Amino acid sequence: MTPYALVLAPFETLDFMRTALVACLALALSNGVVGTLLVLRRMSMDADVLGHAVMPGAAIGFLFGGPSPTWLSVGGLVSGLAVGMLADLMAQGRGRDDSGLVAFYLLALSFGVVLVTWRGSNIDVVRVLFGTVLSIDHRSLLQIAAATTAILLLVAALYRPLAVASFDPVFLRAVGARVPYRTIFTSLVVLALVSSFQAFGTLLAIGPMLLPAAAAQCWGFGAAGSMALASAFGLLASIAGLLISYHANLPSGPAIILAAGCLLTASMVITRIIHRASATIGSSA
Amino acid sequence: MSSDARIELRDVTVRHGRCIALEGISGAFAGGSLTAVVGANGTGKSTLLGVIAGTIRPSTGTVLRAVDERPAYLPQVISIDIGYPLTVAELIALGGWREFGSFWAPGVAVIEAAAEAARTVGLSGHLHRRIGQLSVGQLQRALFARLILQDASMILLDEPFASVDAQTIEVLLDRIEHWHRQGRTVIVVLHDLGLVRSQFPDTLVLAQRCIAWGPTASALAALAA
Repeated sequence: MTPYALVLAPFETLDFMRTALVACLALALSNGVVGTLLVLRRMSMDADVLGHAVMPGAAIGFLFGGPSPTWLSVGGLVSGLAVGMLADLMAQGRGRDDSGLVAFYLLALSFGVVLVTWRGSNIDVVRVLFGTVLSIDHRSLLQIAAATTAILLLVAALYRPLAVASFDPVFLRAVGARVPYRTIFTSLVVLALVSSFQAFGTLLAIGPMLLPAAAAQCWGFGAAGSMALASAFGLLASIAGLLISYHANLPSGPAIILAAGCLLTASMVITRIIHRASATIGSSA
Repeated sequence: MSSDARIELRDVTVRHGRCIALEGISGAFAGGSLTAVVGANGTGKSTLLGVIAGTIRPSTGTVLRAVDERPAYLPQVISIDIGYPLTVAELIALGGWREFGSFWAPGVAVIEAAAEAARTVGLSGHLHRRIGQLSVGQLQRALFARLILQDASMILLDEPFASVDAQTIEVLLDRIEHWHRQGRTVIVVLHDLGLVRSQFPDTLVLAQRCIAWGPTASALAALAA
């Protein structure tokens, strides 16, 4: 097989592959930025729970409008935001409660599956849980592009307080910043999760957000550099995953997540080797 | 509120759920005073500083300020996540937050002031290092440099000498004395009573309630009693 047939032909000849690639590019941009902030704020577990908080709302959206991306997104956004606000309020009142988070995660998932199965089929359940990146239409693409634009603009405008809130929240309060930046950030995460939802489903939506960001984090760049690298890794994983999915006839969402996992593993191994080599050179010098 | 008071507390109580962190604190910190806050662990010292800084809201009681200005507040070092990829220069420049605000990057004047503040605390050669690469003492020096940039008339320090070497304590004490000479109001939470006796004219002894508040010798005598 020629390199052209392996890499370029699927995107050149098939409209749904091109649409999926553009959607993945948009998602890689927003996920790279939000995912990096998530990793830096050590909120990966919270984001995973938020990913499942989208499920009941999306299921209610499914009851109203069937498998319409708009209804699923609106429902997911409402329930994700509601749970995010609730979690923020609880976090202000007392310490982190892991068992509560896990309980919520299980209940949200089960409730969503029951609702979708009630009115739909097993195929609908699989679609909601794992997404269908290859069935993204132009309307969904516009929704993803709009969400990505909003996320990038908001992070660009609020980067400094969002960053300070993550490493020194007391300083931010002490200088009189009364804006609820934690809630704003939670809303950004929910928006990013909902825009990933159709492509990757509620179970995997957190994957393209966290895995490329965690891989970028290994390289030790500053926050802006890590965001750019996470977006690049996200795009690379998407291209690789789409091609693997096309040539091997595998589900596209999991293939993209596995490709991102390979990038994370490679980043961990390579950076560890580099650190050891530089430490050896340093000690012998 | 008396005319020379910088900040006055009136019957301030703070509850965390059923637990009382601070109970019925009343009194005033005079402008230009240098006060140590002492007491055993868990007696409300950090809570008191949080109330004065405005980061903790009292459950009951009021806090009166002479001017509408935020104090510069240094919480315990453990409250800062040093894993964030931030350089020393960027950390110190945050002290100019009042000038550049939430939406803008620090200007040239703030960056130059940050470099000057780093020189003052002996961190000139570390400006481009990540904060995670600093020792506890160096991080504390960087946070003092950030306080210098904040240029506030009231400065609150929560256990600034914890896990810090003697040389760094000397540098930080020198800075505290400098602020006191400039007429700023400085309130410091401390455990080292020897240091309190030798360096701090006034002392507040806490055990959830106010045990003693006044000149250090008499306040510490009440603590011993």
